[in-house]
Amino acid sequence: MKTIARRAALVAFAFAAALAAGVAGAAAPKGKLTLYTSQPEHDASMTIAAFRKAYPDVEVEFFRSGTTEVMGKLAAEFAAGAPKADVLLLADAATMETLKKDGRLLAYPGANVTGIDAGTYDAGHTYFGSKLVTTGIVVNTAAKSRPTSWADLDKAEYKGQIAMPSPLYSGAAAIMLGTMTERHDLGWPFFEKLKANNAVAVRGNGAVLTTVASGEKPYGILVDFMAFNAKAKGSPVDFIFPKEGNPAVTEPVAILKTTQNPDAARAFVDFILSDDGQKLAASMGYIPARQSVGMPSWYPAGVKIHVMPSNIPKIVETNTGNLKRFSEIFGK
Amino acid sequence: MANAPGVRGRFEDYALLWLLTAVIAVLSAVPLARLVLEAVRPGGVFSLDAIRRVLESATTWSATGHSLVVAVGGTLLAVTIGGLVALAVTLTDIRARNAFVFVFVMPLLLAPQVVALAWIQMFGPSSALLKMLGIAPPLGTPNPLYSPGGIVLVLGVQYSPLVFLTLRAGLRALPQELIEAALAGGARPRTVVRSIVVPLMTPPLLAGVALCFVSCLGNFGIPALLGIPGNYLVLPTLIYQRLAGLGPDALSQVAVLSVLIGLIAMVGIVVQDAMLARRDFRTTTAAVEARAFELKRWRPFVEGALWTLSFLTLMLPLVALVTMSLVPALGVPLTAKTATLDSYRFVLFMHAASHRAFVNSFSMAAVAAVMIVVIAVPLAYFLVWRRSRLLHAVSLVTEAPYALPGVVVGIAAILLFLKPLPIVGITLYNTIWIILFCYVARFLALGLRPVVSGYHQLDRTLEEAAQIAGARLFRRLATVILPLVAPAAAAGALLIFLTAFNELTVSALLWSTGAETLGVVFFSFQQGGDTNYASALGVLTICVSVLLMLSTILLVGRLPRGVLPWRD
Amino acid sequence: MARLTITGLTKAFAAFRALDDVTLEVGDGEFVAILGPSGCGKTTLLRQVAGFDRPDAGRIEIGERVVSSVARHVPPEERRIGIVFQSYALWPHMSVADNVAYGLTVTGVRDPERARRVKDALALVELDGFASRRPANLSGGQRQRVALARCLVTEPSLVLLDEPLANLDVHLRASMEREFARFHARTGTTMIYITHDQAEAMALADRIAVMDKGRVLQYATPSLLYREPADATVARFIGEGIVLPVTVAAVHGDGTCDIVAFGATTRMRCAPRGVERGPASACVRAAGLRIVEPGAPGVTMRTTGVIYQGGHFRIEGVVESAPAIALHLHVEEPCALAEGSRVTVAVDDGWVIPAAALG
Repeated sequence: MKTIARRAALVAFAFAAALAAGVAGAAAPKGKLTLYTSQPEHDASMTIAAFRKAYPDVEVEFFRSGTTEVMGKLAAEFAAGAPKADVLLLADAATMETLKKDGRLLAYPGANVTGIDAGTYDAGHTYFGSKLVTTGIVVNTAAKSRPTSWADLDKAEYKGQIAMPSPLYSGAAAIMLGTMTERHDLGWPFFEKLKANNAVAVRGNGAVLTTVASGEKPYGILVDFMAFNAKAKGSPVDFIFPKEGNPAVTEPVAILKTTQNPDAARAFVDFILSDDGQKLAASMGYIPARQSVGMPSWYPAGVKIHVMPSNIPKIVETNTGNLKRFSEIFGK
Repeated sequence: MANAPGVRGRFEDYALLWLLTAVIAVLSAVPLARLVLEAVRPGGVFSLDAIRRVLESATTWSATGHSLVVAVGGTLLAVTIGGLVALAVTLTDIRARNAFVFVFVMPLLLAPQVVALAWIQMFGPSSALLKMLGIAPPLGTPNPLYSPGGIVLVLGVQYSPLVFLTLRAGLRALPQELIEAALAGGARPRTVVRSIVVPLMTPPLLAGVALCFVSCLGNFGIPALLGIPGNYLVLPTLIYQRLAGLGPDALSQVAVLSVLIGLIAMVGIVVQDAMLARRDFRTTTAAVEARAFELKRWRPFVEGALWTLSFLTLMLPLVALVTMSLVPALGVPLTAKTATLDSYRFVLFMHAASHRAFVNSFSMAAVAAVMIVVIAVPLAYFLVWRRSRLLHAVSLVTEAPYALPGVVVGIAAILLFLKPLPIVGITLYNTIWIILFCYVARFLALGLRPVVSGYHQLDRTLEEAAQIAGARLFRRLATVILPLVAPAAAAGALLIFLTAFNELTVSALLWSTGAETLGVVFFSFQQGGDTNYASALGVLTICVSVLLMLSTILLVGRLPRGVLPWRD
Repeated sequence: MARLTITGLTKAFAAFRALDDVTLEVGDGEFVAILGPSGCGKTTLLRQVAGFDRPDAGRIEIGERVVSSVARHVPPEERRIGIVFQSYALWPHMSVADNVAYGLTVTGVRDPERARRVKDALALVELDGFASRRPANLSGGQRQRVALARCLVTEPSLVLLDEPLANLDVHLRASMEREFARFHARTGTTMIYITHDQAEAMALADRIAVMDKGRVLQYATPSLLYREPADATVARFIGEGIVLPVTVAAVHGDGTCDIVAFGATTRMRCAPRGVERGPASACVRAAGLRIVEPGAPGVTMRTTGVIYQGGHFRIEGVVESAPAIALHLHVEEPCALAEGSRVTVAVDDGWVIPAAALG
């Protein structure tokens, strides 16, 4: 009797072990993973390299371009009926929200969001912010005075000297527009006064950096990491966190419903949200979504940055109307 | 040989005609048709909503109006500059002619965005040049280039080499005796130019005008930089805006706007063909090329003006580019202490994608140029000498892929080639071949227009003599016709190579690992804020292109006369 | 050797009839000239025979083969004929030797035979040593000879020449005429020679087809054209004939008849049959006019021009009673006539133009 029980226990144990091993083996993701991202190229390369260290059996192919180009490519692939991407890592949540509304994203309820602000990921767990990219004021070091708040930009002393990214061409700027127009201390009057101050809306953050760093215009509205990376290399720019706070974009990651490799896709999301992935983001100069892993080197010690809350679904809904109103204000 | 004589010869002709029609249909008509399909059947559901929304929007029509203004203005300026320079260089006795041609053509190597950027900085408060002259505007003055006038100025300067190249090829076919006859009749050189040279140069001039018009119409980079800040939209930037705006039917709206651009481009070509159809520009003598007019005391002024022009169009952007490549970050002033070769070191030795990009861009540009010339020579033969109406209608479509913004061509290619090709089952998507397809489709117009104008200047009896000697169509094309249109074809091939080498907007959408192009790497450096790397790459690209252009001089002995614009 | 048969050939460009029911037959080895003023259709005819254009109606046969008709069209490269173009059409990017050799290269003839035939052809046109020159560096006459050599090297059975001597100077023209004549005699090639110069046509051709406004007016030997023109146009075109309105008084039936011209009676030649009494037109040449004393029978002429032509004078005038009609004749020097003077001119010989061809 005992022998039979022992043998049964052994068999059960062996079976369980095999099962566990089998499950563990099956759980290790492998195969090909296709990533579409609008991150800068070296950031994308470093992210993928680190991911491959953690999951060596996954081969990653990536496509990197501007947000508009990536969205155009995706739209064409959807229209042709054979999307190639498995995971997306795009600049802003508004873009992801649109994809979610079209039913293109695969929910991942099991993603590890501990320690991450609920405002940075989708309630339905379809997209997850990977970092916090705030928008503030960039100044050329040769500029005579420094604004300390958004409202300062409306002052006459800054007339004709401000460059800002156009929300018509930049998703991050569109979120900035949607966020700031919701606030009663800024709202639409802020932008109307900017226009009255002859602020120039250029195509994207890159153009703002070029304009301010070269001295063409001494002041600009810009994302934080661009200003700090340029400053680190020696560009004569400084970044200011305005008093009212900063609108932010979260560079979310998401899985496409049509993914060919859901295991590897989930592993990628896991990596981005893991401590290793978050530490990598900080080392690349971004504020991580899980701020407990540490801040980037440029982060002013002891300062708490006020992030303006953004109601992403509302922003997406009102986006078309916002853009129209913006172009009416800033058009001739 | 007695049974069915003439059928074999006719078979060759018809076979070639149908082959050409099929090639053009696949390259130009099918992508356009796929876009139209997307416009009326978004997501598989038939709907005219997108068309209605686009046509009802006031922005569409204001952008169309702006596009026409900018295209016509830019063309006029480019024709004036390019035309005057071509006349001065080819018909007068200025010194260092070959060097000047070389330098004048080089701005085609510069990406339009780089040129626009350099001009903005030149006119702005941080301009080194203006500071040197003491007339730098104070901080806060609006930059005059952010205006339709600025767009027209930069476009005109950017595309004047286009007119220059086509006109120069045409001028070199002008026989000396036609000018001598006019001079003998008592006309002064200025009158001779006005009444003899310019009318005879109508085909290459019109070719240059047509190319310029479509180039200005479809240019994205310059209005993006100069028009967006003032919200002065043209159709390409409007398309980009629609794509960026996350609208639900973005793709269909983009498709409708693209058809609009394509139609405008085709109208321009119809006008050009109508103007060429009624008149005869053939010069029948195999005489000596026109000898130069003597400038005498005007020569130093003319030379000074020409070199000043090339200073503005080439040196300024080039100096700005080199400066940006030698400083560690944007905005750092260039001094002996700050200058560094780190960017070059990075691009040359540490960035594998850049190496691949050089090889890819070079091969694709060269292959595209050759393929297009091989298509264009027989195609122009049928268009000009056989007046095939079918082919004529089909060839209008070749303008569309050139006029459309690159991002739209990329989207059309994705729509067509995402799934494996029928019958053969090969997938072109995510390979270098889809990019090559787009290059050939997009730049076919660049190669076709100069060759068409070359045929208009030839006397057909030269072909008829070969026919009587017994040569069939293929042999005639290869041994008699090709050598005669070679200068015009080479002008086209050069334009194609230089444009494709730096191409950005199409490959930004279609590249994949291993299939990077120089434009993609440049774009990605710029977007990442690495203007120093981008500038270093730009400078290296120009150096490679210059070396390639110089190396062609070694081939001079073996090429027909007039093929190289910088070699007499 | 080829015969060329053209039957009822018609070609219209929009409303303009370039060729109007042209019928012509050229025998083996014949030298035929197509003669006419500019715009008469001779170049159109050449292009039809060569195969560069298609006819609207009619047929062209080379030898026994139908090469052009409404239903069938043999392309030029398969007709095996030779053409010397008016502009020579030498390929500027090829040397003289390459130009001449082209037809051989195309049919697969290789060196050394090809080189030998080129050399022979160049020798034939007296251009030995010019093999490596470029057309741009040749004179008009040299280019013409290269074009001829190129045409002949493939030994075609039918050769078309489109105003080949039009661009040459007088002396060169004369020597090239002799060249063509010699060549024809030697090889017996059928040659069709397009020209507007009647002296050339008369000197070289076995038969001449006179064309005007797309129609063949008369197709006959040079002598017959000169002596018996078929209508007024031919009469005026050949030998600068003068057409006079006359009245036929009597028909003798042996090819002569009495006619009355401006009151003066004389004897003229006419067709053996079909001539009726009554009004007619007659063709008179300068050689058939003679100045006589004032009272003698003849036409009174008022002199309008006395032009020295080296050894003789050309006297031009108008008929006093019908000033619309111009006359001219030759008088050996010395000549005492002055402009404006009146003379009597006797008509010694003429030809009554057949009535059916008038108008």
